[in-house]
Amino acid sequence: MTSAPEALLALSNVNTFYGQAQVHFDLSITVARGHIVCLLGGNASGKSTTMKIILGLVKPRSGEVTFDSASLIGLSTPQIVRRGIASVPEARRLFADMSVRENILMGAFVRNDRDAVAQDLDRMLTLFPKLGQRLAQRAGSLSGGEQQMVAMARALMSRPRMIVMDEPTMGLSPLYVDRVLELIRTINQDGVSVFMVEQNASLALEIAHEAYVLQTGKIVLSGPARALKDDPRIRDAYLGGSEAA
Amino acid sequence: MSSWFDYTINGLIIGNVYALVAVGLALIFGVSRLINFAQGSIYLVGAYIGWVAVMQLHTPLPLTIIVVAAAAALVGLVIERFGLRPLQNSVRIAPLLATIGISFVLDQLVMLTFSPNPRALPSQLPDVRFQLGGGTIGPLDLLIAGVGITSALLLFVFLRYSKLGWAVRAASQDRDAAMQMGVDVNRVNQAVFGIAAALGGVSGMLVGMYYNQIDTAMSLQATLKGVVAEVVGGAGNVPGAVIGSLLLGLVESYGVAVFGTSYRNLFAFLLLVVVLVLRPNGLFASTRQAPPEPLTGTFIAPSRPLRIPRWALAVAAAIFAVLPLFPVSFYVLQTLINAWLLGMLALSLTLVAGTMGQVSLGHAALLAIGAYTSALLSLTLNVPVGLAIVGGGLMSAALGTLLISPSFRLRGHYVSIATLAIGEIVSLVILNWESVTRGPIGISGIPPLTLFGYDLISPSSVYWFSLAVMVVLALLQGRLLTSHLGRSFRAIRDDDIAARAYGLSLNRYKSLAFIFGGFAAGVSGGIAAHLYSYINHETFNTQQSILALTVVILGGLGNVVGAIVGSVALVGLPEVFRIAAEYRILIYGIVLLLLVRFRPQGLLGTI
Repeated sequence: MTSAPEALLALSNVNTFYGQAQVHFDLSITVARGHIVCLLGGNASGKSTTMKIILGLVKPRSGEVTFDSASLIGLSTPQIVRRGIASVPEARRLFADMSVRENILMGAFVRNDRDAVAQDLDRMLTLFPKLGQRLAQRAGSLSGGEQQMVAMARALMSRPRMIVMDEPTMGLSPLYVDRVLELIRTINQDGVSVFMVEQNASLALEIAHEAYVLQTGKIVLSGPARALKDDPRIRDAYLGGSEAA
Repeated sequence: MSSWFDYTINGLIIGNVYALVAVGLALIFGVSRLINFAQGSIYLVGAYIGWVAVMQLHTPLPLTIIVVAAAAALVGLVIERFGLRPLQNSVRIAPLLATIGISFVLDQLVMLTFSPNPRALPSQLPDVRFQLGGGTIGPLDLLIAGVGITSALLLFVFLRYSKLGWAVRAASQDRDAAMQMGVDVNRVNQAVFGIAAALGGVSGMLVGMYYNQIDTAMSLQATLKGVVAEVVGGAGNVPGAVIGSLLLGLVESYGVAVFGTSYRNLFAFLLLVVVLVLRPNGLFASTRQAPPEPLTGTFIAPSRPLRIPRWALAVAAAIFAVLPLFPVSFYVLQTLINAWLLGMLALSLTLVAGTMGQVSLGHAALLAIGAYTSALLSLTLNVPVGLAIVGGGLMSAALGTLLISPSFRLRGHYVSIATLAIGEIVSLVILNWESVTRGPIGISGIPPLTLFGYDLISPSSVYWFSLAVMVVLALLQGRLLTSHLGRSFRAIRDDDIAARAYGLSLNRYKSLAFIFGGFAAGVSGGIAAHLYSYINHETFNTQQSILALTVVILGGLGNVVGAIVGSVALVGLPEVFRIAAEYRILIYGIVLLLLVRFRPQGLLGTI
């Protein structure tokens, strides 16, 4: 591993259980400030649970989670969000019966600076120009790709220091997949760190700085994304044959 | 004579009152997917706080409304904080049972404080009526309409323009996602319970003023009507709840116009059953809505049941069997006879609710069907009592299953609502079908128990008879549970979709469970009828349904031995401690609350 600049988020020796079943075995992941870090893994590898640990939706049995050097253990999800972590949940999870505008503004729920929030809404419309015409529409009536845009805009509205994304390209058309990856890069260039969980390894490694590979709750591989992309083990597991998208 | 115009106004006014209750239910359901069965109790509390304010403190009307809203909101906050928040991470049946327990505790506290006698609650408004179109309208009608419309407007502004209102809406659409936006769900719950309680309390006060009478029976009725209106409008849908309430008010009012007052509730519950069967998501449900209660598997607490060795059970049965040979008092035997009768009902409910996962809140209706059938068979057709009781059991099995069958496709809370409504319908049909059931007069002179020509008059013979019947039913049910059939029942309870995928027909198995359970409950009702010699439509009421549910939870859902142990405990312990009758229901409510909080799997564990 290269010596990363400074850790923004760090999971160290996390062990998680669902009842009797252990999901994570001494999981350690670091997200450096300003980086895009990607967590790869197949089904039931514990990827989504990792997201839930970071967001405080699931409590680990042991281990430490720190954000900006302060522990997140014991904090509630809203408290963690207030520390500066925003989430783009799996399958987007918009508030289907609220309008697109209301959905985006819900992202600013933790903020109290009304004027700045209004400005940020305008900024989102330049970043996601398509949403401009959809503002009054019910969020549930949008296409999957458009919903993903709303989910990302919603996450950015809290002015987070880090965004965690659960399978941001899942179920999207190839056109939108490229668009989403492009946007993640743009967001990152604006100074927001990104931690994303992905099944689509080849795409994720395109934009990530570092990556981890999770297999049945254990990190089996990690390092700079560029190195991993050429790693034969990754190629065999994820990029081989027709699997590459 | 009142005109159609008057019936319409009356329907809309009553609808307005229901709306105040139903909107609260819808808000709570939206945020926590919970049907708050304590809503009617808050309405009751509101009515009595109104009485205290008007009669004792002599507050002017606007102040009375504010006092009632504030006090009721406080009750709502207490319920949320101490009754429901501790259950946040427990199984989904827990908060449902907790609200039932809370409702019993609140009702009993009001009854003990103010006595069950009705009281007058004057409205402090001038008693004039204005001519309007073809009818009249009074200041109280206008007040109720005004409160209804004002509340709706305030609620709209709150939900649409306040930050907390946004949080409420977001949390009701996706709780987890709302948390990830930084919404504190506890605060949302608090807000929602406070608002729901304030509206419910004011509603109770207005109804009290409308009829110039308040009494403790208002509570259950209000819960039922509110739930009907809310489900008709679509659970969790706030504007739907308002429209459902107005519709319910009109249906009732026109029903009363055509058929008479005693049919009012019948129309309400028929409307509910029709909606549940045809459109279980409500009249205004959007298509995107997921089917109600998709995760039945988490509804009931899994646990490892306590295994009691057979010899211990045999010894216990033998001890109880020889008990009358010893000089025990009539009082002890009488208490145990009650326990055995309740035990049969609990066996029935533990099968349906525990093994099958259909939490029935109307189980007393099965008792009533069995009791009336057996009483009428022996009285009018001179059928021997022993045979009549079997007839009662069969009728309960058949009719009970038939009545419940439309709601076989419902799950979770919806089953509870449907069974509650069906229970009420049975009681209302008994009340109104005078040519057969003798209506409100009831049936008297029911012949005492006989078996093969021998009269069972002495307490010990009745004791042996009821114990024997219960033991036989328990053995049969125990056998059933270990059979293939029992496994199928549990498979459907734990995951009905998976069970269906394996080829199990839900309708067939649910029918079988209700047939078996209906028989046991019907036999219990039949024996009771001959034991009491007099029954009427109120002999077997919702309180008994709730008592049976408490017994079943106490013993452990699905647990046959648990059902009997629970019955003996809940019938026996109040006797042992000589607890006065009026405190018993309070105790049952508290027992239910403590169980849900600290031992949801019951004493002997879920099977």
